[in-house]
Amino acid sequence: MNHTLRRLALKGAVACALISSFAGFALAQENVLRVSAIPDEVPTELQRKFAPLGKYLEKETGMKVSFVPVSDYAAVVESLAIRKLDLVWLGGFTFVQARIRSNGTAIPIVQREEDAHFTSKFVTADPNIKSYADLKGKTFAFGSPSSTSGHLMPRFFLQQAGIRPDKDFRNIAFSGAHDATVAFVAAGKADAGVLNASVWDKLVEAKKVDPAKVRVFATTPPYFDYNWTVRGDLDPALVKKLTEAFLKLDPKNPEHAEIMQLQRASKFIPTKKENYDGIEKAAQSAGLLK
Amino acid sequence: MSFRLDQVSLTHANGFVALRGISLAASPGERIAVIGPSGAGKTTLLRLLGAALRPSAGKLSMLGVDPWALSERELRKLRARIGVVHQAPPLPQRQRVVTAVLAGRLGQWPLWKSLASLVYPLDIAGAREVLARLEVGDRLFDRCDRLSGGQLQRVSLARTLYQRPDLILADEPVSALDPTLARQAVRTLLADAGARGATLVASLHAIDLALSEFPRIVGIRDGCIAFDLPAAEVSEPLLRELYAAECPGSAALPTLANTPHFDARPVDVPGASPGACC
Amino acid sequence: MAEAVALHDPAARQRGTALLLGLAVLWPLLVVADFRPGEIFEIRNLKTVGAFLAGFLPPETGAEFLAYLVRATLETLAIATAGMALAFLLALPLVSLSTRALAAAEIGPGPGYARAQFLHYGLRALLTVLRGIPELVWALLFVRVFGLGPAAGVLALALGYGGMLTKVYSEILESGDTRPARAILEAGGGRLQALFYGLLPGAARELTSYTVYRWECAVRASVVMGFVGAGGLGQLMDQAMKMLNGGEASTILLTFLLLVLAADALSHFLRQQVGAAGTVGRKAGFGVSACAIAGLVLLAVVSSFGALDIHFGALLMRESMGLIGDFAVSFFPPDLSLPWLSRVAYGTLETLAISATGTLLAVLGGFVLAFPASGRYGRLAGQFSRFLLNALRSIPELVWATLTVLSVGLGPFAGVLALALHTTGVLGRLFAETLQNAPPAARDALVDAGARPVVAFLYGTLPEVMPQLLAYTLYRWEMNIRMAAILGFVGAGGLGQLLYFELSLFRYAEACTVIAAMLLLSIVVDAASSEVRRRLR
Repeated sequence: MNHTLRRLALKGAVACALISSFAGFALAQENVLRVSAIPDEVPTELQRKFAPLGKYLEKETGMKVSFVPVSDYAAVVESLAIRKLDLVWLGGFTFVQARIRSNGTAIPIVQREEDAHFTSKFVTADPNIKSYADLKGKTFAFGSPSSTSGHLMPRFFLQQAGIRPDKDFRNIAFSGAHDATVAFVAAGKADAGVLNASVWDKLVEAKKVDPAKVRVFATTPPYFDYNWTVRGDLDPALVKKLTEAFLKLDPKNPEHAEIMQLQRASKFIPTKKENYDGIEKAAQSAGLLK
Repeated sequence: MSFRLDQVSLTHANGFVALRGISLAASPGERIAVIGPSGAGKTTLLRLLGAALRPSAGKLSMLGVDPWALSERELRKLRARIGVVHQAPPLPQRQRVVTAVLAGRLGQWPLWKSLASLVYPLDIAGAREVLARLEVGDRLFDRCDRLSGGQLQRVSLARTLYQRPDLILADEPVSALDPTLARQAVRTLLADAGARGATLVASLHAIDLALSEFPRIVGIRDGCIAFDLPAAEVSEPLLRELYAAECPGSAALPTLANTPHFDARPVDVPGASPGACC
Repeated sequence: MAEAVALHDPAARQRGTALLLGLAVLWPLLVVADFRPGEIFEIRNLKTVGAFLAGFLPPETGAEFLAYLVRATLETLAIATAGMALAFLLALPLVSLSTRALAAAEIGPGPGYARAQFLHYGLRALLTVLRGIPELVWALLFVRVFGLGPAAGVLALALGYGGMLTKVYSEILESGDTRPARAILEAGGGRLQALFYGLLPGAARELTSYTVYRWECAVRASVVMGFVGAGGLGQLMDQAMKMLNGGEASTILLTFLLLVLAADALSHFLRQQVGAAGTVGRKAGFGVSACAIAGLVLLAVVSSFGALDIHFGALLMRESMGLIGDFAVSFFPPDLSLPWLSRVAYGTLETLAISATGTLLAVLGGFVLAFPASGRYGRLAGQFSRFLLNALRSIPELVWATLTVLSVGLGPFAGVLALALHTTGVLGRLFAETLQNAPPAARDALVDAGARPVVAFLYGTLPEVMPQLLAYTLYRWEMNIRMAAILGFVGAGGLGQLLYFELSLFRYAEACTVIAAMLLLSIVVDAASSEVRRRLR
């Protein structure tokens, strides 16, 4: 009896929930710019970094801007491809993935000046590791499997140097994020790791890492990395507004300075799809893309 | 003295007075049958003698010592010298007969031997010999749950024989056996005790069995000793009086032939004997 | 006659063979699982863990963090409740279709017999797929199609638990008295009539009790969903661990403990209420308390859906359905190339090794803790060990894994330890219950004959409780094989690591092979375990 009652109760509840969510959906659609970023740092940190930029974009576009926190790189790419997001901060490799998954429609609009010649730092807390060759037989931490600077490009350059990560390392770990990689190495969870130069510099400046304990023993050659990408069917007028908003940012303006400092950008510059062809080739040769 | 009870009383935790002022003694090698109606206190008396229950009043000495003044280690040694045959055979269903029998000497074996015997039975010959005496030698490697109630009770008896105790306490040891087997089993126990000079105390339901096989009979009623006599001196009126509540008037006294058989399984809590009779 | 019985143990050869065979199987598993217990006690690792644990104090109590925590806790509860409600709705039709006792065709070959058989086996297969794929994998897939947020977690729970509920509901219904239902069917009644008038009245109490118990499990499961981006406490924990923020981690762990204990208590209370309903002295049916409880359940479900703000409308639109279709199609055909198959095979072996080794360790740990927990060494020891078991149990495997990874480094051994810690809590509790309920006669008899307590236990109690202990262990192993499959998400090796990697690179054909391997593994382990249990009977 009790059971039957419960059944009825549940049915009613679900019906209510379904109706209310249909209603909610109808309201939620309009005039919101949905923004997200690949979680190359922990999501709470990304949210903090984004807040002033979000306000600025609201002002410039006249739209409400909502930031969707994420903990999976690939979910950002897929969400852009299925048009659940409008504007996203992508890495070089995730952009290549997004371009493929959106059938070539995703458009990169701007990048930081630094992104045009980006590098990755190999770090370790083990005094015996001085070069790539010393990594054989050690445990090694990449960032996320989808990360350009935390996985793809370091893997590519390691292979160029004759190291085959899958065979030569005792164990490969994916920490998930750049700051986590440093934490792994500092704690001895991994003998060595690799992360993006920009995050490394930030951690050193903020004294979040002890340079006496964890040190850089190699740096990759430069490559193209991060950009801001919009989905292909976004209103061209809006795309133009967004691009201009980014390009207008000027470090001399104190209001802009805070945004640029949080984004670790000295300046935003226009970018184009072709800039990332090199990454695509690297991904193919590293076996991460067919 | 094998044991001596001096004005011993026992009150259970629930307030039930099971034994009141019992005095009883036995010399080594004596063979005693305890008889009396259900609930008279036979099981309690045997458990008291087995140092499983502590008396609430009175003095008690087992094999020359007071068990309740001993250290844990010494008490264990004392208990190893006392063999108890339970009314319901306390054998795990899934244990093999050979292991169940060898368990009789766990109190005497060193720890390593007890453990090793779990892996491979260490005295198969010994176990087979005692089982053969009770005519269940062929069930040596069977599991206990494959045995009939009667066989199980004989395995339980065999365990006690294998223990070779100085004092054997048997609580209704043959209640699951048919009359012929019952008599045979009791004789085996008596012979074993006799051969080794051990004392045997058995509570029995069947008066005829008690009278014909045991030299000394102790009658118990309402937690008191009603009589303590050589078998030849136990008369019909004495027995009638002993069983007055259970078998009023001219109803037949409990004998081997009319003892209610109960299957030895499932394992019962000792003391909760079936109440119906006659 | 006795001479016919040999003087050597006839079972010795068989036992020896079994032992050697066991070792021969276990040894490679230990190697694959990277079993290096020394690693835990290595100075460097102890220091790392010590430093991290020292960071646990004081727990983080900042207002901003606590606000996050409260929100995440509510989200976790809401995901569990909403997921459970959907699972229930999913299970209802499946139960009425898959329960043999409700099939008119079972009565005898009739016109619909072949079709009914086909339907029956089809449903069985569907249920196996629903149950065999871990909730977390469902969540990971749903995060892709439905976007980020709790919807993925809710739907993942709905599918995984829907399958589980259907199986157990059917078992409960069929283990009861099925004659009334059959009578209704024979009299020409339909499935639903047979269900409501024939089976439910007898089984309602047990069904409700199981549902409540499952909700308790759902709370634990939804904690874990956060690790793949479905919100809730897991997400917070993931971040705290990645940043090695001990203060936050300890606050979150304490919250886990409280949450699970509270869910435990609530579930216990509800089951008691259900048990009491309809007993002597109470009117059967709609008592005041039954109505109140049903009302509260309704309220909880409604507010859960409200809080989660899931747009089922959007999910069901034609466009989304198209996307889901495309997404599903991109998994086929699975990658069956030889090199990939061999990698998946190794991952499968690793997962098997992690689950088996972890479960074995947990059996030892649970056994050791079960003695004090069953009250053998006094009250204080009993209470302490029960608290310890609860603490071990309330922290999900995946969360333990984030800690063990720190202790022994990344790799399968961390997974082994994580499984072992959580399972020790579960098995220890069950073992303690079993020991408490074991018949004391055989053991007491041995103590009376002077045996040491340990020996008396081994000869007197163990043979009695062994089948029960084994059954619990096998049952847990079935659960652990699914768990081991996903521990790789946090770096603990096995199929999970492969799956996470392939999904990150959008290599769905390869991912499909991995998921198929998980499914196959859980089917094989289920079958093996039920075969062993059948033989034990």
